Amino acid sequence: MKCPRCDSDTVRVMTKSPVGDVWEVYVCDTCCYSWRSTEDINVHDVFKLKPEDICKLQHIPPIPPLKSK
Amino acid sequence: MSQLPFWNFLLRINGRGNRIAMYIKRFYHVNVKFHKNSGTHKEVIYMAKAYKDLREFLATLEKEGQLVKIKEEVNPEPSIGAAGRACANMKSKPAVLFEKVKGYKYSVVTNVHGSWQNHALMLGMPKDATIKEQFFELNRRWDKFPVPPVVVPREKAACKENTITENINLFEVLPLYRINDQDGGFFLSKASVITADPEFPNDSNKLNVGTYRIQVKDVDRVGIQALPFHDIAIQLAKAEAVNEPLPIAIALGNAPLVTFMASTPVSYIQNEYEFVGALQDGVPTEITKADTADNLYVPAHAEVVLEGYIMPRVRTCEGPFGEFPGSYSGARLQCEIKITRITHRNNPIFENLYLGMPWTEIDYLMALNTSVPMYKQLKETIPEVQAVNSMYTHGIGEIISVKSRYGGFAKSAAFRMLCTTHGTAYAKIIILVDEFVDPFDLDQVMWALTTRVKPSKDVTVIQNCAGMPLDPSSNPAGMHDKLIIDATTPVAPEPNPRSVELLKPSPETPKWEEIIKNLMAASGK
Repeated sequence: MKCPRCDSDTVRVMTKSPVGDVWEVYVCDTCCYSWRSTEDINVHDVFKLKPEDICKLQHIPPIPPLKSK
Repeated sequence: MSQLPFWNFLLRINGRGNRIAMYIKRFYHVNVKFHKNSGTHKEVIYMAKAYKDLREFLATLEKEGQLVKIKEEVNPEPSIGAAGRACANMKSKPAVLFEKVKGYKYSVVTNVHGSWQNHALMLGMPKDATIKEQFFELNRRWDKFPVPPVVVPREKAACKENTITENINLFEVLPLYRINDQDGGFFLSKASVITADPEFPNDSNKLNVGTYRIQVKDVDRVGIQALPFHDIAIQLAKAEAVNEPLPIAIALGNAPLVTFMASTPVSYIQNEYEFVGALQDGVPTEITKADTADNLYVPAHAEVVLEGYIMPRVRTCEGPFGEFPGSYSGARLQCEIKITRITHRNNPIFENLYLGMPWTEIDYLMALNTSVPMYKQLKETIPEVQAVNSMYTHGIGEIISVKSRYGGFAKSAAFRMLCTTHGTAYAKIIILVDEFVDPFDLDQVMWALTTRVKPSKDVTVIQNCAGMPLDPSSNPAGMHDKLIIDATTPVAPEPNPRSVELLKPSPETPKWEEIIKNLMAASGK
C-alpha cells in the first residue's frame, strides 16, 4: 500500500476498530499522514509531499541550542 | 450534586439574605445576588450558574432546546465534521451528541460552544442574552480574578474513575475522526493542555492551561502545535535547552468555562484556573493532581485526561489542518508527545470542535474572550472607550465604540489597540464608531460606515507593520498593513458643516418592547 500523500510504501496499520471488525487506520511512517479504510481519500496536489522535502519544512517552534546543565 | 434551576425572582433583604447566599454558593455551586426592593421599581435578581463538568452543561443545553442527540450509528467520516458544519449553518446552532460511532465504544459531542445561545447558557444567562449583555457580564466577572481553584483528592475526581497504564491506545477511549477532508489525520481540536515551567515547577502562577491543536500520530503518540508566541513554547524552550522532556496533561471534555479560559490570551503569570473561578462569578473550579507529574493539575471532572511528555528536540511532520481563518495551514515539523497514561470517566464523552469558514464553533469560543481583555487594556488609558468588538477572525477585524472628546480623538483608541500584544499582530482593520453605536450590532456599524465616513479624510492605511501569519493576505507571512476607518461624527475643532439631529426613540419605547416581547412569548406556547 502506498501513502496517498507522499507515495512512500512505509505504510503500516496503526490500529483496528475497537468494536467489530469494521475499519482499520493506516499511517505512513515517512510523512505521518493517517487515514481510515472507510474514507474516500483524495489528497489535493497542493498538499502532496515528496519525502526528500519533509526535512526542509519549517520547524515550529525552532529547537533552541543545547545548554550545558 | 443537585442543581437549582435557573430563574429570576424578586427578594427583599431582611438581614438573612447574605447568609442564605453563602449557603447556596457553597453547596450548590451557584452564585446568588440579592437586590433591595427599592420601592419605586423592582430589581431583578440574576443568578450565575457554575457547571461542575461538561455533563451538567449538556443537561442544561438539552433542557433549553440547544442539544440534539443522534441515536443512529454514524460513520466517523464524513458525518461528524459534516454535522459540525451543518450546525454552524443553522439559526439555532445546537450542540450535537452522536451516541453511536461506527467501530468505537463511546460518544462524541460537537458544537458545544457554537452559538450565542450556548455561550449565554455557559455564563448562566438567559439564552437570548444579547452579545453586548454577555460582553459586559464577562467584563464584570473578569475583575474578580483571582479565585483560587479547589484541589480535590483523587478519589473524588470523576476524571480518575478509570486508569489505563499499559497498552495505551487512544482509539479505545476516543472516537477519533477527521474534521476537514484535507487534514493530515485525526485531530483533537478542543483539548485543554496543562504544562508547567521547568525553571519554576511549583509556581502555580506559571502553570499554563492552553488550547493547542493535537494530531494523532499513533496509538500512544500525538503531535502538538506550539507556536513560538504561545506560553507553552516558553516552557518547552527551557526543557529542550537541557534536553529534558516536558511533562504534559491533555484534558478533554471539560466544564465549558475551563475550555473558554484555555483559549483566552491571558498573561504568562496568570493562572487560568483562577480565571475560571472569576468567570463563574466567584465559584471556584475543581482541579486534581495529575498522576504522572506532581506539579500538574487537571480539571477534576474532565471526561478524559491523557498524560505524558513532550519529547525534547523532536520535530515530525504535522498537518495540514483547517484553521480559524477558514483555510488550511500546511504541513510543518512540530513537536511530539508520548502518552503514558490515560484516565477517564465511565462512558466518556469525546468533546471536539469543528472549524470551517467563519462563523463556526471556534469563532464563538474566541469571540468575547478576545474582546474583553482588549477592552480592558484600552479602557485603562482611554476611559472614553465604551465597548470593543474583537470577534472577527480572532481580532483581525476590530470595532471600537468611543466617545470622541475633541477632533481626532477617536483615532487614539485605534493607535492604543495597535500597541497591545494581541493587537500588534492581529488587529488589521479597525473601525471606530461613536459611543451610541453598538459595536456588536453590525447593522449599526454599517450605518456608521455609510453615514459618517468621508473616505478622503477618514480612511488611513499604515504600511509595513506586523501581521498575523495565518491571515492568507499577509505577505510575507507575518507582515501586513493596518487600516483605520474613522466612522465617528466629527467633533470640534474638526468642522462638521452638515451637522444633523439624530432621530431619537420615544421614552415609551422600552415599555413597548416588554409588552410586545411578552405577547410574542405567550403566543409561542
